[in-house]
Amino acid sequence: MPQKKPLRIELVLMSISVLIFGGFLVVVFFYFGKVYGQDSSEDAELNREYSYHYEMIVGSSNTALWEDVYEKAKEDAAAENALLTLRKADWNREYDKNDYVDMCIAAGADGIILEYNGEAGLAEKIDEAAEKGIPVVTIMNDPNKSARLSFVGVNDYQMGQAYGASVAELVNENTKDVLILSNREKELEKNQMYARIYNAIQEKVGEGSGISVKEQNLISKSQFDVEEAVRNIFQSTDGPPEILVCLDEVTTECAYQAMVDYNMVGEVSIIGYYASDVIMDAVDKGLIPVTISMNADQIAEYSIEALTEFTEIGRTNAYYTVDLLITNNRQGSNGTA
Amino acid sequence: MAQLEKERKRKIRWQDLSLTAKVLIEVILMTVIMFTANVVMFVQVNRMAAGIGQVYESNVGLGELAAALDEVQNGTYNYLLVKTSDSLEKYYKSEEEFRSLLDRLNSRVMENPVMLLERNIRITAESYLTETEAAITHKRGRNVEKYRESFENAQKLYEYLNSYIYELNDQQFSDNSQSFLAVQSEIRSLAVISMVLLVIMMGVSILMLFFMVRGVVSPLSNLAVTAKYVGEGDFNIKMPQNDSLDEVGVMTRAFNTMVSSLEEYMNLTRENMEKEQRMKEKELLMEAHLKEAQLKYLQSQINPHFLFNSLNAGAQLAMLEDAEQTSIFVEKMADFFRYNVKKGSEDATLCEEIEAVENYIYILNVRFAGDIHFYKEIDESVMETRVPSMILQPVVENAVNHGIRNIDREGEIRLSVTREKEQGGCILISVKDNGKGISQETIDRIMEGRSPKKREDVSEGDSTGIGLYNVISRLELYFDRKDLLEIISDGEDKGTEVLIRIPDHR
Repeated sequence: MPQKKPLRIELVLMSISVLIFGGFLVVVFFYFGKVYGQDSSEDAELNREYSYHYEMIVGSSNTALWEDVYEKAKEDAAAENALLTLRKADWNREYDKNDYVDMCIAAGADGIILEYNGEAGLAEKIDEAAEKGIPVVTIMNDPNKSARLSFVGVNDYQMGQAYGASVAELVNENTKDVLILSNREKELEKNQMYARIYNAIQEKVGEGSGISVKEQNLISKSQFDVEEAVRNIFQSTDGPPEILVCLDEVTTECAYQAMVDYNMVGEVSIIGYYASDVIMDAVDKGLIPVTISMNADQIAEYSIEALTEFTEIGRTNAYYTVDLLITNNRQGSNGTA
Repeated sequence: MAQLEKERKRKIRWQDLSLTAKVLIEVILMTVIMFTANVVMFVQVNRMAAGIGQVYESNVGLGELAAALDEVQNGTYNYLLVKTSDSLEKYYKSEEEFRSLLDRLNSRVMENPVMLLERNIRITAESYLTETEAAITHKRGRNVEKYRESFENAQKLYEYLNSYIYELNDQQFSDNSQSFLAVQSEIRSLAVISMVLLVIMMGVSILMLFFMVRGVVSPLSNLAVTAKYVGEGDFNIKMPQNDSLDEVGVMTRAFNTMVSSLEEYMNLTRENMEKEQRMKEKELLMEAHLKEAQLKYLQSQINPHFLFNSLNAGAQLAMLEDAEQTSIFVEKMADFFRYNVKKGSEDATLCEEIEAVENYIYILNVRFAGDIHFYKEIDESVMETRVPSMILQPVVENAVNHGIRNIDREGEIRLSVTREKEQGGCILISVKDNGKGISQETIDRIMEGRSPKKREDVSEGDSTGIGLYNVISRLELYFDRKDLLEIISDGEDKGTEVLIRIPDHR
């Protein structure tokens, strides 16, 4: 019997070595399988093939808004088997919107969603794209003389009405100056915005009240000029206007920051644009009385709808009107058509 | 049993494998494991190396693409500049090469930034080539405005393309850096795992070798120790039972069988030797007794043959002289001594023994003038029974010398030979006298074979010299049995009976 023991130990050892080896193989293949598996699952998401490629070209003045719009639009596009990519003409890009439209045309995009602010030559680029069969949906402003496919947004009249109502509400006996900070090309300068706000003030206080309504266009300034311009307004010898109307997100945030920095809370009322985190925080604290924004989800939805309809049936609506959201400290959000 | 054997055959156990097979299996197992582990590692490392290779391949590919694009742009520019057929040829060549490189790029719409950039490059490059083509065509058609416009467009697209290529390169480098880090960490993990495996396998191999060698060596050591004990004559020690069919098991069983056989053989030899020794001893003893009897007889008989012949001559002379009595006497004497001499070394029949006794009595009666009254009662059926020679005469001589000699009444000696009737019984020979009797002490002394008076008895001139103890000894040796002779005496002057029991081989 004693001889049996060592013999069995050999068998046990052999089994152990086989088990350990099996473990080694399992570990090696499981480990690498996991590593490669992860790769492939990520790849599967990234390598999904789409039938269409849409491009979205935006500027830098409404960062949060465009991020929100893009996220939603991308989802909607994916549902329609289209890939949406974002091209932002901001500081780190050597190209402007015209270049991007050119690039999209050259790269054979199936559709372009373009933030139009009246930039020089951009309308021609829209025409060029249309000529090559690439539909362009504009958002924010409507180059109505161009061959754009659709416009998704709020027209100036509505926008002016909304802003006018908000301004009128803030106007009181102490109001002397109202300054509108726009961010548009000269082409669009003569727009409804100024007139609507002016009329609203007149309606409120009557003619000859002496309230000055001015507009300052911040476009075509170089990169950090918006911030500098806003600070200059606060530092001017005449003092800042009582009501400051901001028509984009960046301007709103700059104005808000300057107001806080120069300790002018209560002296200056800012009417903001869009509901970014910073702006909403200010609204919640009552530092910005009201902010007006377009419904980002609707912009996304209608833009993709327009492109899809055009791709599928060759035509679509020329106008898509999105809701305006007016947010103030008292009543939260409410929408106006 | 057969069933068991069958089962055993069907189920091959580890201990039934030969040592060669065991060693081979273990070595092969370990080798295969090590080999496979190495192959697995090799394959994995190769896979990773291929991954690293891809990292650089993609960047190299982009470099080529950028170079080809430059060539096309240069070709276009040169043609527009000098319009030589050489530059045109160069343009077409470079265009062809650029196109072949473009064919490798992805053309599908995918979210993967690399793929998307590839697609952008591919389609933009097509647009670009359309513009360069247009520029060349317009240049040939000398449409100055158009070729300028086309070249400007191409230049713009060229910039975009370079921008894309740069971005793609950047993107790939970033992706590849991540892959490279992942691969590096994988290689490190694999190295650790492999090292652990190799160390464990090494340990297990050493243990396996140790136990295998111990499995072989320990029975051998046991065997050596056991063999030493067996060599010293201890056959009770055995190797531990082992039912394995390998060489160790076979050797162990063979050794145990050998030890068992050796023990049996040794026992048998010892028994034989003892038996032989006993027989030799018996023979020697018998011989010694006979020799003693013969010697004693010869000492008392000087040249018996001469004496017989002389006695025969005397008998004949007595016949011639008509002295019949003398003639018979001398003849009987001659017969008696002849028997004594002739049968000294052999056995004899009871008939011969009785005849010798009769002769002896006759002689004595002549000597002592018929003083001895001899009666015999013989069962004739036992006459041919063989007994050692010279057993009755010494008994009768004893009865004469120590029994009835020197008594006042008439001495009587009765010889009876009877056979017990029951099966397996004895032949009873009784010699009875009415003489002086014998004390129990003397009887014991005689039976034990010590006789202080023996010397005196022997020196007496008329004794044949064969003592009673000699008779007892020879009877015992002859029949290989004890208590064949018994001396019975009721006491002083009440006579003595000597009773001999001989096994009856009917």
